[in-house]
This record gives sequence, C-alpha cells and structure tokens, in this order.
Amino acid sequence: MSDFLTVDGLSRHFGGVKAVNDLSFTVKEGEILGVIGPNGAGKTTSINLVSGVAKPDQGKVVFAGGAVTGKAPHLLARMGLVRTFQATTVFPERSVHENVLRGTYLSRYPGFFAAFFNTPRARKLAAESEALAHEVLEWLGLETVAWDPAGSLPYGYQKTLNMAIALAAKPRLIMLDEPVAGLSAEETDHVRDTILKVRDRGITVAVVDHNMRFISGLCDRVVVINQGSRLAEGTPKEVLSNPAVVEAYLGKSHAAAYGQ
Amino acid sequence: MKTITADNMAASQKQPHKADEGSTRQLRIKLVLGLGLLAIFIILPFLGLSGFTLSLATTILITGIATTSLHMIIRMGHVSLAHGVFMGLGAYAAVLSVVKFGLPFPIAMIFAFLAPAALALVIGPMLLRLSGKYFVLVTFLLGEIIRLVFVNWQSFTGGSNGIFGIPLPYEGLADPVAFYYMTLIAALLCIGFVARMLQSDIGRIIDTIREDSRLAECAGIPVLRMKVTVFVIACGLAGIAGGISGFFIRYIDPTSFSIVQSLNFVVMNIVGGMFQLAGPIVGTLFFVILPEFLRGYVELQRVIFGVCLIVVMAFLPTGIVGLAAYIRHQLSRWFK
Repeated sequence: MSDFLTVDGLSRHFGGVKAVNDLSFTVKEGEILGVIGPNGAGKTTSINLVSGVAKPDQGKVVFAGGAVTGKAPHLLARMGLVRTFQATTVFPERSVHENVLRGTYLSRYPGFFAAFFNTPRARKLAAESEALAHEVLEWLGLETVAWDPAGSLPYGYQKTLNMAIALAAKPRLIMLDEPVAGLSAEETDHVRDTILKVRDRGITVAVVDHNMRFISGLCDRVVVINQGSRLAEGTPKEVLSNPAVVEAYLGKSHAAAYGQ
Repeated sequence: MKTITADNMAASQKQPHKADEGSTRQLRIKLVLGLGLLAIFIILPFLGLSGFTLSLATTILITGIATTSLHMIIRMGHVSLAHGVFMGLGAYAAVLSVVKFGLPFPIAMIFAFLAPAALALVIGPMLLRLSGKYFVLVTFLLGEIIRLVFVNWQSFTGGSNGIFGIPLPYEGLADPVAFYYMTLIAALLCIGFVARMLQSDIGRIIDTIREDSRLAECAGIPVLRMKVTVFVIACGLAGIAGGISGFFIRYIDPTSFSIVQSLNFVVMNIVGGMFQLAGPIVGTLFFVILPEFLRGYVELQRVIFGVCLIVVMAFLPTGIVGLAAYIRHQLSRWFK
C-alpha cells in the first residue's frame, strides 16, 4: 500500500491559538484511517485544511502524487478527494433522490451550452447520473426513503445521506467528519457497516471522530491528535494502550488509575 | 426556515415511487399558463386598445426582461441593487452606438448586451464572493458609481440632461403596434432563454448553490465560476431591456436608471415569488398595472406598495406564486 494522501507539517493559527500545529500523517490507499483526539484537538480544522475549505498557514498536502495544498474544494473533488461535514449538511427541502443527484455534478454536468440545448451527450450523462444516484441510494439503504424530503428523515438517515451525496461524486478518498456524532449505538453500527462497504468498493476512507469505540472497531490505523499535533499513530490496539493517549483523553490522575 | 414551497408540498402529498409525476404535472400547468399569457400578449393589439394601454403593455414586456434576468441572480442567493443601473448601461450603450457612432440598430442591441455583461465579467469575480448584506451594499454602491459616471461624463452621456430626441431605429417602428411586436419578440427570446436555463441542469446548479454553497463546492461545483457566468448573462439581458426602453421612450437620463428602478425590480421579484420564474412575471404584471388603477390616488401609491411588500414579506415568503400554489393544494385536498 502506497501513500495516497500525505500531510506534512500542516499549521493553522487563529490569532494566538494554534488550532493545528505542525501536523503530519499519511493515508494509505485502500485503508480506513481514523483520526481521533479529545474535543478541541484540531480534528475538524485539519480536515478543513486538507479539503481546501480553509487555507493552511504552513505545511503541504500531497494527494495521489500531486501537491494540492490550499486548492479549492471543487478542484479537490474533481481529483477524487471528497469530504462530508460534521453537522448534517443536506438540502432539507429536497427529496433524498434529488440530494444525491446534486452530488453527481462532476459526472453529470456536460458544460453550459450542452446543458442549455440538452444535447444527446447531456441526455446520456443525465441518464447515467440517474443510474449512479439509484445505485448509491440502494447501496446505502436509502431507496425506501428516496422521495421523502431530506429534512424529514431521522438524524441517522440524514448522516447516511451526507455520505451518499459525497459518494455520488465518485471519490477515491472520502473524508468523513464525525459521521456518528449524536447517533445511537444501533445507528453507529449501521454507519460502521456502511463505511466498511465503502472501503470494499476500493474507496479509501479517512474518518475523524472522538468516539474511541467506533474508531477502534472500524479503522486499520489510527492517528491521535492533541492540541493540534500528532500524539500517536498505529493500530487501534497500539494507540489505545499508549499512556500518552490515555492521558490526553482522561487526564493525568485518571491515567494513573488506568495504569494500575 | 419552514416555508410553503411547491417542492415541499409535492413531497408531502403521498407520493408513489415515481419521481417526476408531480413535477411533470406542475411543469405542464406552468407551460399552459405561460402559453395563455403569451396568447393574450399576441392578440392584445387587435383588441382595439388605446395607444396608452399598448404602451403600458410594451412597458410590461421591457420590465419583464429586466425582472426575469434579475430573478436568476436572486435564485443564486444574491439580491442585486445594481440591476436597474446595468439596464441603464445597456440603454446608454445602445443609444450612443446609434446617436454618436451611427451604428445600425441590431449592432446597437448587441452592444446593449455586451456593455453590462463586460462590466459584470470584470467585477463579478470580486462581487460574488460577498454574501448576503455585503453583496447588497456593494451592488448599491456600484449602482451609485455608475450613475455618477452617467451624470458627470457630460460630453458623452449628456450629463443630467440625458439624451433626447433619440431617433427611431426604423421608419416602420413609428407604428406603436410594430414596436410592440418587436418588444414582444425580444421579451420572448430573453425570458425564453432564462426559462430554458433554469429548466436545464444549470437551474439545478443555481438552486444547489443558493441552498448550500459550501456543500455545492464540495460536490465539485465551481461555485464562483458558475455564479459569474449567470451574473454576466443576467446583466447582459438587463442591458437588452435597457436598449429597447431607450428607443421606446426615446429619451434617457441617469434618473430613469437609478436605485429606485433597481429596488422596484427587487420588489417585483419578492412580491411575485423569489424561487420560481413565474414570480417575477407575476410581480411585473402586478406592479406595472397596479399604479394605473391608483392613478387618482398618486400620494397613496407608495403607501399601498409598501403595505403590499410588508404583507408579502411577513406572511408569504414565496410570494403571490407561492400563495397560488398553496391555494391550489388546499383546493385539491378539499375536492379529493
């Protein structure tokens, strides 16, 4: 497995606060990488920096062999790096089907004039994207609610829809920002199964969360972030037995108790 | 924001696993209504109307081009207060092409499109990065700057006196009916262009950008480029409306394309309905015809306008068109 995404010395400061400070890690092709850390560790900021939503002050990001530091999100999506957002981000008034269809833009949009005149090529691409949307809906188990307005769905479904919209862009690497925040244990298991299915399709996954149990049951490798820098890296088992990680999560006195 | 939208309602009706049944029906209703309206406009000159009514109809058509083009910008989530001035830019470009440079009318109309479109292309990439109130403020200032150019570039634009005695492009257009039909064809082309754009995938992208531009960007949509494209086309179409109005009224001055005009266009869009093309069309009919019924109460006009606007903003976020859809929905429930 080769390095698919390399993050090297990434930093971002907000005023005097070092949200992300000299952060480095890699994602290997075909793996599920977990990025964890306590609240405020800089997890979301780092995913924003990598996906182009925010620009880093320092450091570089290399994706699939090309430097992509600070590139706009739509250009990264075109290259195959797609992300989801922490809060459920869907188009609430539109149907689930329409939501996913909007995610297919990259393979669907034939250019202004072709779209305007609805040329045969535009019709062909539209039909293909329709099929792609159906496939994604079926794949994630959303086909039963396909015609419901996205905003009326239970929270767990909306989180799955987040992923469906991202998958409709046919990513090679998908970055999930807290995909199970606020979900029940049952829904969390469903999301875990879905992510495993995504990986089985050959899509590399980087998942950011602070739910230790979820991450350790899912990921091949884990990177732990604390105060904007990498604290530890390894298999879930290695990381969980690392005293520094336990300390960061639970505090010193608890860590001591844990060690006994 | 929970609002009454056609989409929402279509979804709340028990829907079978067919996606487009409801929307195809809606599209058909819109098409029938649109063609009906067009038929009325086509036979209008044969109804033995006064010259005044015919000129009112011509004004509706010209205003319709301006409001439907502004509709595209509003659909992207931007309320532009410069649209009246972009229209004026088209008017000055067209009129000056004929008066100063002696160019033929069709070429003048091409310049009416190109001048505001070119300005939109230059400032669009900066302007469309702004959101919400900042965009509104900056377009307001932009409008004022352009207006000041009209006023102060006296040697070219005639300053505050404007340009009068604008010649008719063709002898034949001296007949109000001929001018009316020329305007009708122009309106049909322009509004048809907008309708086609919104009906195609471009319309889906425009709605996607308005509803969540961050998510749109992450789905690979080049949001800024898309916005600039639509903005340039919309401003160009406003310029065509301006060009026609210059030759229709045969007099232009800076005050006819001021902030008041821009505001009127925005109000027509909001009162008619912001999120459907039918909105600005209904709004235009409403606001161009209504003052004629209020002729006797000139001082009341502004008050009534204001009340209309407040009522619509407070109770009908989707405008008159949204109200119509709501009533239709209630009726269909009653008579089921």
